[in-house]
Amino acid sequence: MDRKIALVACFAFGVVMFAQYFSAHPVAHQVNQAVLEYWQIIFAFALVLGVVGFCQTNVTQVRKGHDRPYRMAALAGFVAMPLLATFWGIKAGSPFLWMFENVQAPMQSTVFALLAFFVASASFRGFRARSVPATILLASALLILLSRTWIPGSMSNWLPDAADWIRNNPSMAARRAILIGIGLGSLTTSLRVIVGIERTWLGGGK
Amino acid sequence: MRLQTRHWVFASLFVLIAVVMASGIRLSVPVSPETQRMYDFIDSLPAGAVVLLSFDHEASSLPEIQPITRALLRHCFEHDLRPVGLALLAEGTAIGYRLMQTTAREYGKEYGIDYAYLGFKPQYVAAILSMGESISATFPQDYLGRPYDSLALLHGVENYDDVAAVLSIADGSFTTHWMEYGGRYGVPVIAGVTAAMVTTYDPYLASGQMQAMVGGLRGAAEYEKLLGRKGGGGARGMLAQSAAHLYVILLIILGNVAYFIKRRRSA
Repeated sequence: MDRKIALVACFAFGVVMFAQYFSAHPVAHQVNQAVLEYWQIIFAFALVLGVVGFCQTNVTQVRKGHDRPYRMAALAGFVAMPLLATFWGIKAGSPFLWMFENVQAPMQSTVFALLAFFVASASFRGFRARSVPATILLASALLILLSRTWIPGSMSNWLPDAADWIRNNPSMAARRAILIGIGLGSLTTSLRVIVGIERTWLGGGK
Repeated sequence: MRLQTRHWVFASLFVLIAVVMASGIRLSVPVSPETQRMYDFIDSLPAGAVVLLSFDHEASSLPEIQPITRALLRHCFEHDLRPVGLALLAEGTAIGYRLMQTTAREYGKEYGIDYAYLGFKPQYVAAILSMGESISATFPQDYLGRPYDSLALLHGVENYDDVAAVLSIADGSFTTHWMEYGGRYGVPVIAGVTAAMVTTYDPYLASGQMQAMVGGLRGAAEYEKLLGRKGGGGARGMLAQSAAHLYVILLIILGNVAYFIKRRRSA
């Protein structure tokens, strides 16, 4: 019975939201606005679930002694940031913004920047012209990489032109094919969910 | 510990970037048609027009995002446009506020009159669609907790009909959502994106779903050149990026030379 209620609700919301897209009637706009507000409220509950899950996982692991220093640091940050925001606000010059700009942002940028070292290492060890397709890929990558340096500015136009040709022809054709595929797939899946053929979102089974 | 090849690769990259950054070399970058298109688009907007600036990125991409955003914001303020910031990713919230505040200060712009910041709204699809119906209902208060109606800049700004363009600053696919869902209301979408995302958005730029795009540190450096401004970080970042790219190219060539020598010997 509870599954039927979910399926009926899904069908009703799917059809109503689909129909209101084509309507300029004020009621359609009101329905749209109301549904969007509820959507955000439901999403906020998902955030609460994420917070609870984060706490539970880390507290359990700290008790077990797994990666204790790292997990305690994560929990300390998790508790500290909301407290700083609550008591001293989030304006310029606040401890919250100071922590964000001087601790969180540099740490995340550092971790992201480490990718450059792995790319350098991988390019030396793995990027080989083993076959014709691999050689074409390699040549394209070299051209694009070179075009994103200051060198094209001091050379003739052939390098930026060649890089632009790769971006605007083979690369874009592949991207468009992927996008069209994703679009058709999304449309099909949405229809299957609305009419109740696709039911895995209910937890599987018939 | 015995040093392996990868340790030398890592150390050389670190030394190279450190030396290049310390050298203070200034490079000239030619302006690409894409960057020129963005400059012309912003230039074509009437003075006083409201531009929604959406910070759809994480803190990790800040070194690349910051020069792009600063260059675009400088152009907006120079041209007397009125940017209204918001964030669809929580991490972009504080970054966006800070960037708008510091850049506005350069031009003596006043909060609430020349620019405003609405803050973060969860569930990006719902937020984009909801703003199409009513921005004030989506953001009843600004980032600092002031009521929407108390900001002079936002008087008469009810939905996308009152907005000249949406500028999405993104390191991921969020700009796509602006085009897909914001496009439903006919709002023009422009973007400042990380270099890795440029090819993702090329089809949208070619089809006209996106009006203009600035990509990566190179785009930021080009934009700084168009503005005739120095110190935005784009040219300096471009220097480090160029050195790293040339280093990677050298490694690829060396790796392939070693591979072919090895293959010939074993044949």
